[in-house]
Amino acid sequence: MRNYDLITPEGTKDLLFGECTIRRNIENTLLELFKKRGYSEMITPGLEFFDVFNLNSQYFPQENLYKLTDNKGRLLVMRPDSTMPIARVVATRLREADLPLKLCYNQTVYRTEPALKGRSDEIVQTGIELIGSQQKMADLEVISTAVDSLRAFGMEFSIELGHIGVFKELVSRLEATDKEKEKIRKLIENKNFPALNDFLDTFGNSPVTNALKKLPALFGGEEVFEKADELIADDNVSALLEELREIYTDISEICGNDGTITVDLGLVNKTDYYTGLIIKGYLQGHGEEVISGGRYDKLISEFGYDVPAVGFAVNVNGIEKVIIKNGVFPANQEIDAIVYAEQGFEVAALKAAQALREQGLVVENALFDDLESVREYAIEKKIARVVVVDSENGEVTE
Amino acid sequence: MNKPIRIALTKGRLEKDTVGLLEKLGFDCTAVREKGRKLILPVPDGNLEVVLAKANDVITYVEHGVCDMGVVGKDTIMEMKGKFYELVDLGFGKCKFALATKKGYDFYSGYGIKTIATKYPNVSRSFFEKKGMDTEIIKIEGSVELAPLLELADGIVDIVETGTTLKENGLEVIEDVAPISARLIANTVSLKMRQAEIEGLINLIEENL
Repeated sequence: MRNYDLITPEGTKDLLFGECTIRRNIENTLLELFKKRGYSEMITPGLEFFDVFNLNSQYFPQENLYKLTDNKGRLLVMRPDSTMPIARVVATRLREADLPLKLCYNQTVYRTEPALKGRSDEIVQTGIELIGSQQKMADLEVISTAVDSLRAFGMEFSIELGHIGVFKELVSRLEATDKEKEKIRKLIENKNFPALNDFLDTFGNSPVTNALKKLPALFGGEEVFEKADELIADDNVSALLEELREIYTDISEICGNDGTITVDLGLVNKTDYYTGLIIKGYLQGHGEEVISGGRYDKLISEFGYDVPAVGFAVNVNGIEKVIIKNGVFPANQEIDAIVYAEQGFEVAALKAAQALREQGLVVENALFDDLESVREYAIEKKIARVVVVDSENGEVTE
Repeated sequence: MNKPIRIALTKGRLEKDTVGLLEKLGFDCTAVREKGRKLILPVPDGNLEVVLAKANDVITYVEHGVCDMGVVGKDTIMEMKGKFYELVDLGFGKCKFALATKKGYDFYSGYGIKTIATKYPNVSRSFFEKKGMDTEIIKIEGSVELAPLLELADGIVDIVETGTTLKENGLEVIEDVAPISARLIANTVSLKMRQAEIEGLINLIEENL
């Protein structure tokens, strides 16, 4: 059976030439930016034991993981995320390391996406994790890195902040089962106002239900905090809001907010291991977020080491798509010269080509039998200079 | 002027109702009314662009962000799922999902696993999963009412408007599954990046419902 030998699996693709250049440029831009801020790169295996992702709180549903077994029959997965493997490393090999740890990574994650939706199962994520600090300074550091990350590409972007604590605090006041709370979360996540209103009406009319009803509408700029204050008179929630507001104000001052930094109190995604601050990043022209992150103070303790952390990942494929869509396509590599060897002078030609490269030129060795083909090839590929080697050290240039 | 807000409408009845609503809001929809075979149409004074698509495709275009907003039935949303904001219940296009069987058939009796014929396998599956009931679901493309008549299925889950087709074929609704109406949806990034424009439009719509 050789039915699939000419194609790649759905959700994957080959990248050629210009596309590769774009991807590598994005990765390098981000890694360089992170390293300049003192983050050290790490690489975790592409294969991990299923158990790493099968913690008490199942952040990744098993049906979305690529699974295989090792030679002892144990269940492995292609890593669906980088933060959890990094949490594993921090809780083991880096347990004795001085805190805070500043880590960065650039690696592929794998998730099964629904078929025929035009989604990628293989996504490159470049991101940072700042481990061991609960200070506001750590949040500011990470958010400003996120702002710089998107600003680096010179396109219209927006960074959005949220705080999962606001929802968690409010919903805990409600006499509701876990199932009902999950339903409320989902309706808020989808900003499904009609259904949310109807469902919350069944819990009666209280300040808490009113606040929950308005939560998904509380997004935008500074004014969100005033609206929220009017709406929510609760000391615990107000404290969280004040915390977020301080971060918002500070980050606006640091990064210069011309409407690029916004707030959404209705960010309550399920698969998130986030415990506090939530960070999202958007690019004009891309239908999904290109940055996702936040504070995850409880995740590493699930691996047996109780230490707070905050971080984010940039979806490189997303940025790549927008760059290609905007038509900023890099030219193919320019070649300065091609060196052709007359019969018997191959060694001299290779040496001559090497000498040119040492001068900093990009030089190809010609692989044709006759000079005419070399000239045609040079015209086709826009190579300005053809070098013919027909004596031990002679050359003809044009 | 900014790039127009692109709104995808489900072709057919929902399209007509939505155009009616837009006109009530004072937008000039002449181009949409006289569309001919065109699929992308301008609504100039509203800085809007109307895209006409099949229901499932409305969701696909909105999910990918190539359309900022969409009007689609709750039936399609329940079947397709997907990541977008479901902002407003537009109130028109009302009908329901219901479970129907042959008249007088006692669906919940006996130990045997029931067979359900439907165009909406996800809706059917989640309906019976909630009841903790194992069922066999068969996807049918055309008139689902045929399946119980030909004794392929014990019941059907389908959209019911007036119930006339059911009645004429000796079937009856034994349980409602979910109410349906048209919804205004938005791409998650568009709502954030073009908040003022989209919120303005939504407020206008809500005032006129």
